[in-house]
Amino acid sequence: MKKNKIAAILLSSVLAVSLAGCGGGSKGDSGEDTVKVGILYSATGSMAISEGAVKDAEVLAIDEINEAGGILGKQIEYIEEDGASEPSTFATKAEKLIDQDKVKTVFGCWTSASRKAVKPVFEEYGNLLWYPVQYEGMESSSNIIYTGAAPNQQIVPAIDYLIDQGYKKFFLLGSDYVFPRTANMIINAQCKAKGVEVVGEEYAQMDQTDFGSIISKIEAAKPDVIINTLNGTGNLSFFKQMSEKNYTADDYMTMSFSIAEEEVKTIGADILKGHMVSWNYYMSTDTPENKAFVEAYQKAYGSDRVTSDPAEAAYDAVYLWKAAVEKAESFEPEDVIAAVEEGGITFDAPEGTVEIDGENHHLIKPVRIGVINADGQIDTVKETEPVVPDPYLKSYDWAVEADLQPLE
Amino acid sequence: MRLKNKGYHICFAVIVAILALMPLLLSAGVITSSSFVLFLGKCIAFSIVAIGLDLIWGYTGILSLGHGLYFALGGYAMAMFLKLQATGGKITSFMQTGGMTELPVIWRPFLYAPLAMILVVAVPGILAGVIGFFIFRNRIKGVYFSIISQALTWAAYSLFTGLQSYTGGNVGITEITSLLGSIKGDSNRGKMFLLFYICLAVLVLIYILSGFLTQKKFGKLLIAIRDGENRTYFSGYCVSRYKNFIYVLSAVFAGIAGAIFVNFNGSITPAQMTISYSITMVIWVAVGGRGTLVGAVLGAFLINICDYNFSSGTMVEIWQYILGAIFVLTILFFKGGLVGIVRDQLPEWKKKLTRREVEQHGK
Repeated sequence: MKKNKIAAILLSSVLAVSLAGCGGGSKGDSGEDTVKVGILYSATGSMAISEGAVKDAEVLAIDEINEAGGILGKQIEYIEEDGASEPSTFATKAEKLIDQDKVKTVFGCWTSASRKAVKPVFEEYGNLLWYPVQYEGMESSSNIIYTGAAPNQQIVPAIDYLIDQGYKKFFLLGSDYVFPRTANMIINAQCKAKGVEVVGEEYAQMDQTDFGSIISKIEAAKPDVIINTLNGTGNLSFFKQMSEKNYTADDYMTMSFSIAEEEVKTIGADILKGHMVSWNYYMSTDTPENKAFVEAYQKAYGSDRVTSDPAEAAYDAVYLWKAAVEKAESFEPEDVIAAVEEGGITFDAPEGTVEIDGENHHLIKPVRIGVINADGQIDTVKETEPVVPDPYLKSYDWAVEADLQPLE
Repeated sequence: MRLKNKGYHICFAVIVAILALMPLLLSAGVITSSSFVLFLGKCIAFSIVAIGLDLIWGYTGILSLGHGLYFALGGYAMAMFLKLQATGGKITSFMQTGGMTELPVIWRPFLYAPLAMILVVAVPGILAGVIGFFIFRNRIKGVYFSIISQALTWAAYSLFTGLQSYTGGNVGITEITSLLGSIKGDSNRGKMFLLFYICLAVLVLIYILSGFLTQKKFGKLLIAIRDGENRTYFSGYCVSRYKNFIYVLSAVFAGIAGAIFVNFNGSITPAQMTISYSITMVIWVAVGGRGTLVGAVLGAFLINICDYNFSSGTMVEIWQYILGAIFVLTILFFKGGLVGIVRDQLPEWKKKLTRREVEQHGK
């Protein structure tokens, strides 16, 4: 009897481990008529809702391209991996996509934490990541293309706009992580140089729900405008509690960098109407390309869905990759990167024509300051010509003076 | 009893042998991707922390829902050393963003390799020792201990995300290579294999040490504490001291595991010290089989390998439900986990089957 036990334990473990192990290596190379790309977002965990919308936009673009005949005669086959809202998982899965599934490029990541975790993976394997979200800047990798806004395409022009409009007392409010911290570092330097006063700077925990003490600090500081870099559920709680005190945009104007159409839908247009935001694209942006994009997006995923800046930037990423591949006449990442760095990769995007800056791998794109209306849409109040990306803010004297340059 | 232990050890030996074969299979071209071997390296780290958890939960009956804390502390200690290697002793970009011009005092010890390696085990060990001293001396046990362990982990998580200029906030410490330099890609395969075998040896050593401890009188005492704490007290043993020792030991194991994890992962973030991450560790032990060291190792490998293979495409959400169901089933019906099924349930079913056959023949 005892020998049976031993045998059974042995057998089961050998079987289990070897079976699972085989799963790791048995995938073969892709067929002749398809090209594999990776899609890497969180399907589970706290970031799943935000990242899902972005993923949908990319799948839409891939389907459109496939329907139109693919790229260089090949159909795109995408492999989805789940980052599970956890940076280390993102790194593991990025490596799996590149090394095991042999994808030619990866579209993915939302949070700065996940991007920073996968960055060395893409650099060491020489693969290419398309990152679709506006972020804090101070970064540039030859293996990443940033299709969202750099700080000088969202934050800096928004602050300039507020100063032009006569706002003089700024209150900085953000979630406690790298984007708000870096954004506020930039804003502080900018305000100092332009002679505008920052009357307070507060950080909330990522999942903080009680904003009582922060609101009383705002009341005491009496700012003209609150620069809001809260993210996720923080926005919901903050604006709900402001509206419970009957504060509207007339009492405390806010300028938000992380509220797009998707968030307006969750928080409620009645609460947010009149508040300002800054992005490169809105669902209401009036271009023929956008009309087609919104129509296709809602047709694919339901008429109640809204498009937003990150989703649009993700959609652009797929088409820009197509343009770069066609220019390089090759799917290999190093050829595509070389084609990108030669410059001239453009796409007539929903937000207007965008072009990859070959030098720093960000997009040349227009900036739009918007005001949220009662229908949950965002009206553009100021639109700029396409702005050249400057992730390190080297072309701004006040930023150079404040020594905002990172070390590496 | 001796025979049964032998079975466990053989089973562990088989797992180690399979792992040891992996790099060879990769060189021979049977496995096509080196990233899978890298991933198994992380699993080695997970199985070490699982052994530590098993020692306190499976053997001693202390359910810690906060072992991610010690795992991450070991990980951070290793990552701080590796980061300073990468920057050449200069300050990091997140320190600069935080307005610092020189290296903070808490980072200084990590300039020196031997000191950093000591801190990998000392920081989790000492913290666990202090916490354990107060908790066990005051005879806090059961769910109260579990709640405290969670609260501590949560507090540490808030601290690490809050002190952005010291810890990198929720981005953590990234862009570091392993102790042996870069281990990614084909050109660095030799280094990766070396690191893999070193870590595998660490796992074997920790298994042997734990096996030795649990087979001695000390191990019997741990089980006695689990099954009848008061009786053990009345027999004249200072229970709190034993509990504290095993708690520190498992924290040290977690620290070592964290350090190994960082080498293979190339970054450490506060996500590793979240409560959900800590609970995942408990699930590995529960599913593999608590109370047997090999069960912990088996659980850590199996669940992570499934995670790795199933969490893509359409399987993503389904796998979450399957994992949840496995955990619930294990807790409700198979308390001994996988090992328990093979050890207890299988022979029982077999007995029933033969009895039925005998009865049928009788008719």
